[in-house]
Amino acid sequence: MTVQTLAARRDVTIAARALVVAVVLALAAVVTGNLLGDRAEASRMRMPQSAAMEQALGVRFSRIAVVGDGGLITLSYVVLDAEKASRFQSDVAHPPTLRSEARQGSTHRVSLMKQGHTLRPGQTYYLVFENTAGALHPGELATIDDGALHLPHVPVL
Amino acid sequence: MHPITRSVRRRAGAAALVGALAVTALVTSQRTAEAATSEGLQCLTDPHQTFSLTAGDGYVSTPDGNSLYMWGYADSRGHFQLPGPTLCVTEGQPVTVVLHNTLPEDTSIVFPGQKGVRANGNPAQPQLDSGGSLTSLVQPAAANDGSVTYTFTPGSPGTYLYESGTDVDKQVQMGLYGALVVRPAGHPDQVNGRADSRFNPAHEYVFLLSEVDPDLHLAVERRQPYDMSRYRARYYMINGRSMPDTLAPNHASWLPNQPYGALVHIQPYDAVTNPLPAVIRYLNAGSVNYPFHPHGSDERVVNKDGHALQGPTGQDLSYLKYDLDVQPGQSVDALMDWRDVEHWNPTTNPIPTQVPAITDQLLVGSDTWFSESPYLGVKNPLPANITANNECGEYYHVAHSHALQQATNYGATFGGMMTVFRIDPPAGCPAN
Ligand SMILES: [Cu+2]
Repeated sequence: MTVQTLAARRDVTIAARALVVAVVLALAAVVTGNLLGDRAEASRMRMPQSAAMEQALGVRFSRIAVVGDGGLITLSYVVLDAEKASRFQSDVAHPPTLRSEARQGSTHRVSLMKQGHTLRPGQTYYLVFENTAGALHPGELATIDDGALHLPHVPVL
Repeated sequence: MHPITRSVRRRAGAAALVGALAVTALVTSQRTAEAATSEGLQCLTDPHQTFSLTAGDGYVSTPDGNSLYMWGYADSRGHFQLPGPTLCVTEGQPVTVVLHNTLPEDTSIVFPGQKGVRANGNPAQPQLDSGGSLTSLVQPAAANDGSVTYTFTPGSPGTYLYESGTDVDKQVQMGLYGALVVRPAGHPDQVNGRADSRFNPAHEYVFLLSEVDPDLHLAVERRQPYDMSRYRARYYMINGRSMPDTLAPNHASWLPNQPYGALVHIQPYDAVTNPLPAVIRYLNAGSVNYPFHPHGSDERVVNKDGHALQGPTGQDLSYLKYDLDVQPGQSVDALMDWRDVEHWNPTTNPIPTQVPAITDQLLVGSDTWFSESPYLGVKNPLPANITANNECGEYYHVAHSHALQQATNYGATFGGMMTVFRIDPPAGCPAN
């Protein structure tokens, strides 16, 4: 094999590689754009509120976010009534359930990460959930169930 | 996004990658969580190693719902962020950093550990006022739109802080700091010049540790004086975030000014399929020692303050440590892997003892990160009221400051300087 054909072959290989790289980059851009778009869109959506839930639990849920590279979920809530909120946080037998509105999927596996003894009104606290079987995906809507109380259309970040 | 090259270079076959991406791109409703999130070091790089940073102000959020006024360095093409961009450079090749100052007072950048730094072409040196008092450790950029250009040739490979050299106590506290990663020439996958410092480039992490006294920030925002003797930090951060925001992906939409996550996500060591460790580059931009304590495995300290731990004849002086003391201004580079040393298996090699019932393992109420099964990759059913943060039998090892006040959000446990190290089973985590 001559040097020329080797060089030519290398050129073809380089061109092929360049094409693969270009396709990968293009697709990556599409995927990244979509995903960032989803999260950004979800973050612009209004967080719903439930007066009944706030009255009963003493908390206002403020955010659901998929974290831990997809394996975990954080549920943030603002304490409105410290006494009710303490009851809510201590009721380990009845954690809220996060349910996807897009498909079958929910999780109630929660690490309470109890944040001190005194819950301060106006302060935000959080629970960490297992994202059971990929229950929630960023960009979709979820419902928070707590017994008979429901908070639908929560954007998942 | 162009200047930001993700250091996360997954070594998948190109064809498989194209296929996977194509499927992901087309079936948009089935986006995988892995694609949805991102973790690991994000480098700011430049072919000429020339960077343009803007010192400016903005706000960051804390998990307890607070909003903090901060100063920080931003990539001049971007917007305010905390911490500043991680600058990745190669040893021996000249670096230029142009600083633009939009703040209402003089500010500057010092590069501790770098030799021969020049400012606007002159040797960098302390600045004194007419009375002989120190005004800045280095030539500053003047308030309200001044600029200054620093140049140096990076030396010994490793991790360094860059931070304000002007009114240091206040300006560094306000957030004027970032990380500088110096890579060995020809060996970007090594921490230092030693072959035994090689790591997996897909698993490279910077943990830039810091703290915030919100009263000081409020005073600066209101342009009021602040008595440093009253200084008391209330928030503790990794990469400008506190737990649980540390678990969120890079560029999480709800943290627009805090672009860097702090989740370590690895798989067990395997001599054939996963031989290289992760690297975690710890830096302390705060005022006190941070005893950082990852659960579950020791880490091998291979570099300190940008110097390989080796003796005069090149003998390896690296050491295993389970609690990494990172002192103010210090950097500690540690290699980290997770080894299934005992090879426990529920059928072929069961743990020869009764693992205590989960109700006997509770530390704080029902809080625990224990999974349904002690075996990696195995899940067992448990009562619904028991903690389970475990998706496919993966492990989550908490890593946090062992000074527990630093693992709080304004005193509320847990939070602050805390994150998790996620270890997936050898076959990966099919659920996401
Ligand atoms: Cu601990």
